[in-house]
Amino acid sequence: MELTKQSSWNKARDILKDWRDNNQRRSVEVIEIWENSLASKIHKLGDDRFVVLEQVSVAALDCNRLDVAASCIHSLIKEFPNSLRVRTLLVMKLEAQQRYEEALEHLETIIKIDETNTAARKRKICILKAKNKIPEAIKELTEYLKKFMTDQETWQELCDLYLSEGDYAKAVFCMEELFLHHPHNHLLHQRYADILYTQGGLENIELAISHYLMAINLNEKNIRALYGLALSCHQVLTSAKCSAAKKKEISKQMMWVSKHLARQYEEQQGNTETLTELMSALQVS
Amino acid sequence: MAELLLDANIRGWVFLPIVVITFLVGVLRHYISLLIGGSQKKADIQQVQDSQALLRARLLRENGKYLTRSAFQMRRYYFNDEEVGYFLTQKRTAPASNPMTDPSMMTEMLKGNLTNVLPMIVIGGWINWMFSGFVTTKVPFPLTLRFKPMLQRGIELLSLDPAWVSSASWYFLNVFGLRSIYALVLGENNAADQSRQFQDQMSGAAVQMPVDPKAAFKAEWEALEIYQHQSALEGLAAEMIE
Repeated sequence: MELTKQSSWNKARDILKDWRDNNQRRSVEVIEIWENSLASKIHKLGDDRFVVLEQVSVAALDCNRLDVAASCIHSLIKEFPNSLRVRTLLVMKLEAQQRYEEALEHLETIIKIDETNTAARKRKICILKAKNKIPEAIKELTEYLKKFMTDQETWQELCDLYLSEGDYAKAVFCMEELFLHHPHNHLLHQRYADILYTQGGLENIELAISHYLMAINLNEKNIRALYGLALSCHQVLTSAKCSAAKKKEISKQMMWVSKHLARQYEEQQGNTETLTELMSALQVS
Repeated sequence: MAELLLDANIRGWVFLPIVVITFLVGVLRHYISLLIGGSQKKADIQQVQDSQALLRARLLRENGKYLTRSAFQMRRYYFNDEEVGYFLTQKRTAPASNPMTDPSMMTEMLKGNLTNVLPMIVIGGWINWMFSGFVTTKVPFPLTLRFKPMLQRGIELLSLDPAWVSSASWYFLNVFGLRSIYALVLGENNAADQSRQFQDQMSGAAVQMPVDPKAAFKAEWEALEIYQHQSALEGLAAEMIE
């Protein structure tokens, strides 16, 4: 971080813009840049300064730097006294101070003014999650998704919550929704297969195999998917219910995946000794 | 043909003033539209929900092949079932077709005209009257005769090389060409960006109007109904391992 310390405000602005555009949170670094180079130069940013202030406020709340957040939000309120976006920031500050009742009151009024304000609705769910009321949060999320059914972020969140509740079947549904949006993201396929594998049962594991294969097809360096495939194949092979023909097919896949894994390790380290150990450890399970 | 030589006064009193005037008018327009157009239109929640449902159904058709058959059927059931399907149970009325009956739409239109069309006509007309009949500049490459009406508006000379640009045409070139300069000076997504407004107009006013959800539902319902689910994952194993 030495580099950013010395950099001029100009460069700092560009870095922050870059992170904003790429949706990178990097809160600690944002605060560092803010305090070292931007805080005193904020008037130089022109119209950009409002977005920067918003970004810094969120980062400050992440790092529990309430003083920084308060000053940023205050200058935003002075500029836009009626903005709902600024009000959402204020709510986030209240949340950070664990003043949930006040925050909820604000959120209710925001939603009343603008029914389509997704940020406020999401904050409401965040409060429930912060209070560890997971079932209530799940209920709110499903209500939300009935209205905004293409919000991928929310599907992802719902999936996580279902997983934390151990409700795998519903988590699977959420993952399906996610890769309907991005069918070419190998991580989504891998995660979907992970959940199916965890759920267990021959049918699920067979489906997991095909999705692990899909993930490997999209990115052949996805080691987790390769291991997942190996594990799933192993499960099917040891299952009593599986037919002989199927077993033959699966064992072929097993061979293929171990060869593939070996090659990946060779490329990385030049030896396959650790891998053979790992593979033999897998066999025990 | 002898090379045409332009008076230096034309550069000083026609060529540059047109650039400056167009630019300043653009900046002014930006601030005026900021002044009168402040409020953003709020979307109706039902409209948002409908459009999201349509989008989801479309995605289901596009990427449904990655789902298992049962997962696909479940989603299709959600949209298309005769008793509980979203597309069949949600009754939407068609939006008012006549914009004249909707006063808010009227003011929107008036504002749009005030900031876009009116200055265009007034300034364009004034430039035409003030600087008419000058040959202002020459493009540095040869052009065919077809370009004459575009680049030599206001000058009807058959023998003039099409590469020469008349003052009126120079104004139009400026109107469309200053776009990146506006983006530089006023920031992105500024109201002075007339070419964008024009693109909006090109794509037709129908896009701006709320589409009739009933018809869209019907179309999407039909498309989903005839969709044949074919898993993309089958055969993948064989293909990869071979």
